[in-house]
Amino acid sequence: MTEKIRILIVEDELLVAEDLKEMLLGFGYEVSGIADTGEMAIALVDEKHPNLVLMDINLASAMDGITAGRDIRLRRGIPIIYVTSFATQAIIDRAKKTHPSGYILKPFNERQIQTAIEIALYNNELEERVNENEITIRTLANAIPDAVMLLDHNRQVIALNNAMACRLGYNYTGIQRDSAVNIDRDGMFTSLESRFKDLISSGLPIRFEEQNLDKWFEISLIPISRSDEQNSCIFVQYHDITDHKRFEGSLKKEGITQIEKNMEQFQTLNDQIRNPLQAIMGYVNLDGLLYREHILNQVKQIDSLVNRLDRGWVESGKVKQFLLRHYLDNPDDLPNPKSRENCGGCS
Amino acid sequence: MQLMDTVLIVDDESAIREIFTLYLERKGFKPHAASGGLECLDLLKTQTPDLILLDLMMEPMDGWETLLGIRQYPPSSQIPVIIITGKQPTSEDILQYGGLIEDFIVKPVDFKIICESFHRIIENDRELVREIDRIWNREQDTGLLTEYASLIRLVNVTKNLEKRLNDRQCIDQIPLKKLEERLQELNKKLGFTEHLQEQNEA
Repeated sequence: MTEKIRILIVEDELLVAEDLKEMLLGFGYEVSGIADTGEMAIALVDEKHPNLVLMDINLASAMDGITAGRDIRLRRGIPIIYVTSFATQAIIDRAKKTHPSGYILKPFNERQIQTAIEIALYNNELEERVNENEITIRTLANAIPDAVMLLDHNRQVIALNNAMACRLGYNYTGIQRDSAVNIDRDGMFTSLESRFKDLISSGLPIRFEEQNLDKWFEISLIPISRSDEQNSCIFVQYHDITDHKRFEGSLKKEGITQIEKNMEQFQTLNDQIRNPLQAIMGYVNLDGLLYREHILNQVKQIDSLVNRLDRGWVESGKVKQFLLRHYLDNPDDLPNPKSRENCGGCS
Repeated sequence: MQLMDTVLIVDDESAIREIFTLYLERKGFKPHAASGGLECLDLLKTQTPDLILLDLMMEPMDGWETLLGIRQYPPSSQIPVIIITGKQPTSEDILQYGGLIEDFIVKPVDFKIICESFHRIIENDRELVREIDRIWNREQDTGLLTEYASLIRLVNVTKNLEKRLNDRQCIDQIPLKKLEERLQELNKKLGFTEHLQEQNEA
């Protein structure tokens, strides 16, 4: 069961007020009350939360209907229909600024009142839905930690989220429809301009990484095409990858350090294994033992195994060189600077 | 009467020093031993051996550092050095130090064979030094002579490694052909005897 629509009547002429009340009840609405002053109208709105206010402009009070209407509109967002016998241009101008939902001149008839109320309620519902949509979109946009903005085909900012506004150091409303380059800070958008051309000619999204001051970003430019080319726009996203970059860097450094350690161990071990082999060979040759050849054969086998380990060491050196060449942006910031003993390799 | 050639063994492994000593004595050398780089450089202050056998992986001063120490100290700067180690060399090692040594031997090896070759290595080296001294007196460009002395050693060491090791990986970055061409060029230009280039293999 739907609740009845509640309407507040603000009218200082008792007869007119009663007439309106009868009319509204007849349409099936509920009357929240009748106020005869502006002050009372505000108090009743706060108390009864009506869905709509029928407001007389000329009231027997210090506060007239337009002043009360502005207050109610601003604080409560309730639709107001002015019902008045005044219609000077000055009054209409004042009334206009309070965003009324209707303006009915006395004397009125039932049809006028009913139509005005229905249209006002319908428009109000639409307006609320639009507001809700905007709030939803805004909430979604601000829920993203990435700085994002939407640019039109002239690179003017249509909208941006809080993260972007924060990075730019502006407040959100202040920079709508401003050119992106104008609101740029720290050269954040410098690299965008050249990419826009590619974006527009190819119509395909572009993604690239860029360093700005001490931060790293993955920047996405996504074209959003509309049937009307003038309305197509570009979605710009700055995804902060600073932590990822740092982690990646330290991982590579650790990896290379580990390889260096392994290589050093390989070398030391191989050297240490070859010493007893050399000693055995020396002693065996010296004493002319019965099984001398057998022992030397065994020594040879161990030696060939150590040679295989040596090849592993050379391979590790190549892997390390590869990592250095391809992954480290700056080999100088390796924890262990290149040294002769642990950094052999063949290249 | 000819004095016995002295050989200094530098190795941190006592068994290796002991066996070397035995073999060297049998082959008519007078052996000395040092257990590390510092001890070696210390010994060189009082003795001038005819040959030094040097291990690489030693603490705290490794073989390459010891080698540089030997070369920088004038009384020992001309003594032939042979590296004998359990560490396979890299191309980098050889390109950097090959010109300062007579040979690079990876353990284990037959001591009998290599000890026999030491006499020849010492003789060849003496001849090279004599030749260099001879040409030094008339040659204006001493830089070319220095290059020659280093190059002939580097080429020898590389060829020996190539012959001895089944695995070429450790010397595959050395442009041996180019080095040999340059050596021939210098040999002709400076007027060295041809047979200096015969291999000095241990």
